[in-house]
Amino acid sequence: MKALSRLLRSLARTLALVLLVMIGSTLLVRLAPGYLSDAREMDARYSNTVREELAQEAARSHSLPRMLAREANSWLHGDAGISRQFGVPVRELIRPRLAVTGGLLLRSLLLGWALALTAALVASTRRKSGIVWQAPATLLLAIPTAAMATLCLLAGSGGPVFVMALLIAARDFKFLCRMLRQAWLEPHLLQARAQGIRMRRLLAVHVAAAIGAQLAALAGLSLVTALSALVPVEVLFDVPGVGQLAWNAAMNRDLPVLLAVTLLMALAVTASGMLGGQPSEWERA
Amino acid sequence: MRIRLLPVWLLVALALGASLIVALPGASYAYQDREHTLTGASLQHPAGTDELGRDRLVRVSAALLLSLAGALAASALTTAAAAAIGALAAFAPRGVAWLVMLVCDAFLALPWLFLLMMVRSALPLQASPAHSAAITFLVLAALGWPACARAVYSGGLGLKRSDWIMQARASGLRGAQLIRQVLPNLRPLLLPQFLVCVPAFVIAEANLGALGLGIGEPLPSWGGMLLELDNSALLFRTQWVYFPVALLILVLLLLEAIPVEA
Repeated sequence: MKALSRLLRSLARTLALVLLVMIGSTLLVRLAPGYLSDAREMDARYSNTVREELAQEAARSHSLPRMLAREANSWLHGDAGISRQFGVPVRELIRPRLAVTGGLLLRSLLLGWALALTAALVASTRRKSGIVWQAPATLLLAIPTAAMATLCLLAGSGGPVFVMALLIAARDFKFLCRMLRQAWLEPHLLQARAQGIRMRRLLAVHVAAAIGAQLAALAGLSLVTALSALVPVEVLFDVPGVGQLAWNAAMNRDLPVLLAVTLLMALAVTASGMLGGQPSEWERA
Repeated sequence: MRIRLLPVWLLVALALGASLIVALPGASYAYQDREHTLTGASLQHPAGTDELGRDRLVRVSAALLLSLAGALAASALTTAAAAAIGALAAFAPRGVAWLVMLVCDAFLALPWLFLLMMVRSALPLQASPAHSAAITFLVLAALGWPACARAVYSGGLGLKRSDWIMQARASGLRGAQLIRQVLPNLRPLLLPQFLVCVPAFVIAEANLGALGLGIGEPLPSWGGMLLELDNSALLFRTQWVYFPVALLILVLLLLEAIPVEA
């Protein structure tokens, strides 16, 4: 019963967050100084009077309450707004790209985690952590994603999955290593190691159980890392995913598309945060 | 000189060197030497020129100064905002704290780059390069506070339950007086947050610039110079195209190597 009430509370909080995110991002866009700018303002053939009229018309049709109502309505109808650039429902633009982005994210997360876990397991069992393990992670974190993707393209090796996996592995390695080091120092694990219990059994039975909840929370953070790298990677490697759509929308001031993609990403992060937080909630319940 | 502070001194040396280069008579990041486009190192242009004939060393130096100054200012702003919001939430009634933390969570749920792109693309069409630089770093500062505010909130809650705060309350200290006593005690928490934000903002600006949504030309920026690497035809003409990337990575490594308790 307690677990159910916690779950319901968590769902309510997620819903409130999503609503807040929707209102917040609509507000941010609406209050941005150039939201009402129109490309026609740059056209020398229009007189100042016409430009002023254009600005007034835009201000009238984009009042904040009306904008929020329209945004909520478009999400309730499932079309997520109409693209300014293409004149079609945003849903039609996003849907075919979701599978591409989803596949890229999944493969990157799996490879990144495999790399980070392997490195962290080896590093955490050594007496000295050593610069050999920390240096590559630090170096990788100091390279902006766009630069890493460009350098991979120039070298002709490594693709979008490789770049994103490296970034995820570099970020997660430090957390995983610290987590595992702390787990190994537990008195019962020290005793078990001293008694010569095999490493595989120790990992499966004791370590995994001790750090399970933290791993779930870290998985949520990995998704945020992957999403932050999505746009440069998809743009530079020419992957027709949601990140490339967002970049194209940003370049063409197609704010309904950009707003929809941002909300979608926020939904993914909130959902993953909720799932990541569940194991510890269940343990406490 | 303590070895732990070496990254700080190296960064200061780099910034001083860059200031000297930018301040040299005749040095201009926008001047185009049309007779020497895409050249390698020479006496006149020690790090060569770009495809418009602009001196690469001067541009890299100006980008370094702009990026460091912008990131430091944005980081200071975001840390100050986080300190104020976090402390307010920690010492406010529970309902207010819950609401503030919900807003923090909403910001944390929004992936940075998407939000940055969204706000950046909604800027006026005729924004000048200086405005675009200021707005880029202001937006970074406006989006960077929630994680830091959460940390300050946790630290503030710890302080709220401490004996000396109870004593202060019992002695009649209220509101602003209490906060004035608490803020210096949050300094060990704020300094690491400030230092973590600086490289994060430099990277964010570089990524935005590489997507064509950063600081406008002719102002030099890391992101703008990364765009040079997209043109593979240029890469065969001079290896100096890689110079900005190498320096950017060095600066980021130095920023990440600064000891947080320095």
